[in-house]
Amino acid sequence: MNIILGNKKAYLTNFGITIVQFLHMKYLYMILLFGIVSACIEISDDITLNNNGSGSLRYKINLSSSKVKINSILALDSLDGKPVPSKEQISSKINEFVRILDAQEGISNALVEENYTDFIFKFSCDFTSINNLQDAIALSIAQISKDKISSPSDQYWLSWDGNKLVRSIPSYITEQIKNYKVQDAELLKDGVYTSIARFERPVVSFENKLSTLSKNQMAVMVRTNTLDLKENQHLLDNTIVLSPR
Amino acid sequence: MCFLQDNNRGLCVTSLYNFNRVSIQFKIVLSLVTSILFGNTALAQQQQIQSEQLLPKDAVTVFSINNISLLQKISMDELVSYEFMSEVHQELFDGSTSGKTLKDAGLDFDQRLNLFYGKTSTHELTGFTFGIADKKALFEVFDDFQVVNSPLNGLEIYGTFFNQLLIKDNRAILIRIEPTMERIDEVTDSIWYARGNEIPFDFFDEPAEDEQILDEQTFEDNPNTPIFPEASDNPAVKNYYELRDSVQVILQQAELSRVINEIFVKGENLYNHDARFAAQLTHNAEGAFYLDNARNLDKSQGLWYFQTVLPTLYKDIQELYAGNVILGDLFLRDNKIDFEVEAQYGPALGSIYAQMNDAKFDQNVLAYISSESPAYFTYNVNLQKAYEQAYKVLLPMLSDEKNAQIAMNVLTLELLNEFINKDALFDTYKGSMFGTFSGIKKVMIKKIEFSYDEETFAYQEIETETQADMPIFTLGFSTTRADIPELVLKHMARLSSRVQRFEHYWRIDNAILDAAPLYILNTGKLLIMTNDEDLARLHPNGYGKAALGKKERSAAKHSGFMYGSADIPQTLDGFPLDVLTPRNAEIVSSLKGKSGRITLSSSETNTSHTAFKLSYSYLGEESTGKHLLDLVNSLYLIYTLNP
Repeated sequence: MNIILGNKKAYLTNFGITIVQFLHMKYLYMILLFGIVSACIEISDDITLNNNGSGSLRYKINLSSSKVKINSILALDSLDGKPVPSKEQISSKINEFVRILDAQEGISNALVEENYTDFIFKFSCDFTSINNLQDAIALSIAQISKDKISSPSDQYWLSWDGNKLVRSIPSYITEQIKNYKVQDAELLKDGVYTSIARFERPVVSFENKLSTLSKNQMAVMVRTNTLDLKENQHLLDNTIVLSPR
Repeated sequence: MCFLQDNNRGLCVTSLYNFNRVSIQFKIVLSLVTSILFGNTALAQQQQIQSEQLLPKDAVTVFSINNISLLQKISMDELVSYEFMSEVHQELFDGSTSGKTLKDAGLDFDQRLNLFYGKTSTHELTGFTFGIADKKALFEVFDDFQVVNSPLNGLEIYGTFFNQLLIKDNRAILIRIEPTMERIDEVTDSIWYARGNEIPFDFFDEPAEDEQILDEQTFEDNPNTPIFPEASDNPAVKNYYELRDSVQVILQQAELSRVINEIFVKGENLYNHDARFAAQLTHNAEGAFYLDNARNLDKSQGLWYFQTVLPTLYKDIQELYAGNVILGDLFLRDNKIDFEVEAQYGPALGSIYAQMNDAKFDQNVLAYISSESPAYFTYNVNLQKAYEQAYKVLLPMLSDEKNAQIAMNVLTLELLNEFINKDALFDTYKGSMFGTFSGIKKVMIKKIEFSYDEETFAYQEIETETQADMPIFTLGFSTTRADIPELVLKHMARLSSRVQRFEHYWRIDNAILDAAPLYILNTGKLLIMTNDEDLARLHPNGYGKAALGKKERSAAKHSGFMYGSADIPQTLDGFPLDVLTPRNAEIVSSLKGKSGRITLSSSETNTSHTAFKLSYSYLGEESTGKHLLDLVNSLYLIYTLNP
């Protein structure tokens, strides 16, 4: 997981951008932040890409091992001088983002599951093309947070030509990652980020050496701890080539 | 109904209109008595008193270090690292202090060093006063100060962007004056609208793009660039923010002139103005502390609602707090600093405190405090008497208010007073209580892990266990109606399977942060709530020989309404600062890393005062002066950041 901390933003890498930017509201972000710096977190992004470029995205954040800390924060009026939101406020903001995203062109079935007992959040949506997905995320972020993504290279971090998927991390994310100071490296080591790409055809090759291929050869997974990801923001970059149709 | 959280005692109080006259008479008497008692003494001290004569009379909090020779070996770099020096950091963090001690800085060690903080309705002022032994050496440290024209003969004024250094003879005051934001806005708005301007803010539009600042030199150097554009706004006319900056500077200068006039022309200063402060300085102590809580209250922003909406009630509150001053002495003893404080108050407030403290200490609580507890406190008040006295004092005053909401609250209060069985209520919660902090323990919690199979990376969730850090707290209070909480718990158990009865205790699962159980011990004499499983399971009848030692038990027993003790490293070093407000985090941070133990005890309370004693005992080889500064710094933060 890559985390960038600024005055108003926290970002997770790749599809995590979606989630945490939509959670742009400082409060939940503050909670995530606290969980991240004080305890471990498990994040998973899972993209399924069809041959025609359409697909689905699933994004999961698991804070169950930090639930004591999160509950202790939720019991407070404020944290670090900022008000702590209620679960209702958090849920309202998450659902607002999902509603906005679902209304964007090329996006359908946007859903979110919120589990406030174990603090697991699962987001999913279908898209008609990679570009639709990235545009929709950018527009939704802009609507909900009034943040503008300054250049196309920031907005597009995925590309797909029918045979090859290239994924990277937007430059505005990497810039901020450099400024992030880890408070507790040992705890970040316990955090896990899992990134999965699934296809309808077998994978021929992939560049990222940390990747593993599923036995059925139709999916590629990269798992790393959050500390390594903080130290190398390009750890999840990958180029995956599929067999010809 | 609570109107005011008293700074000293945590009691919610307001005042009684009928007490106004009494209070005024009391103040007159107090003033006469203090004049008689301390006037001559103060006069006798005048020859020795110098730097404190420069303290502005608006100072609300003052720390005076009487014996600053203790600080001779403290390096300037170390000194400026304290929060109480933060106001003058700009001048002292520029390398001019490097390798220098306070002695090298030209300070006169025969005079006091007085740190002060004050707030009026329009300004905040902070700084310190001190004596000068070597002006040349002083300006090697304060090397950024520029000479400013002085309106008075014999008064030298030096200034920087933030601070002013005023020197007369061998005394100096370094002061920073800041107008309050409210005052700046008020004056700026007045001028802005008087000039016929529109509202300067646009509440509805998107925030403006960052203004691009063009570099004229770039245009001149590169002939291919377009012509440098002309300025679009009239540079002779200030916009709102420029006007605001100007107002701030003018207000600052005006206030500085007022303070200079007050101190150096009229000779008015806190020392002359408040005999209680002057008397405090006569004590044979290493340091003195002064906090005028009545003025502190008067300037409290938190009471703006009462000031504006309920002015009569606010006046009553002021009357209630009249004479409420906190005076303290710092004594250095062997590896220990004692901070002896006396809180003085008027008769109305005092009558409530006196009733509240008319309580017998319940020794049963001591059996449940382990000798291993890093921090614990006991608190002993008579809630029923306090309630009755507060009811007697407050209700007539509230009843006089012609405000619908207050009238409804008064009616509710009176009805509850009539209908509720107060004996049952106050027998259930008697008022004697204790609390302990037993450190951080690992507890097992359930967590969910994501898992993926090797064939397709299909996803599933697995429930496992993990350890989490949990602070262990215990809170208990004495009761003579154990049947009432038992009744409540029995009914809760019928409604929820999370509430279970065991032989010696009740357990409520996941009651603490949705992760750990809460244990309730209802011993018949005490009702104890804890998340300490060891206490519930292994010590339901108390710790026995593992409880507090004889010395600590005696100290708690013979203390007044409260006693507290904390091992600094064990209690504070592991404390999560994130959960505190930045201000409180700063206070805790100031104590982190220190060795030793802090104990707080109180004397018996009467209608005019309560005495407290805070002892800071430390280990190690660090100099006494450093420990003194550590404690002063913590107290400064407590009293200035949380006024």
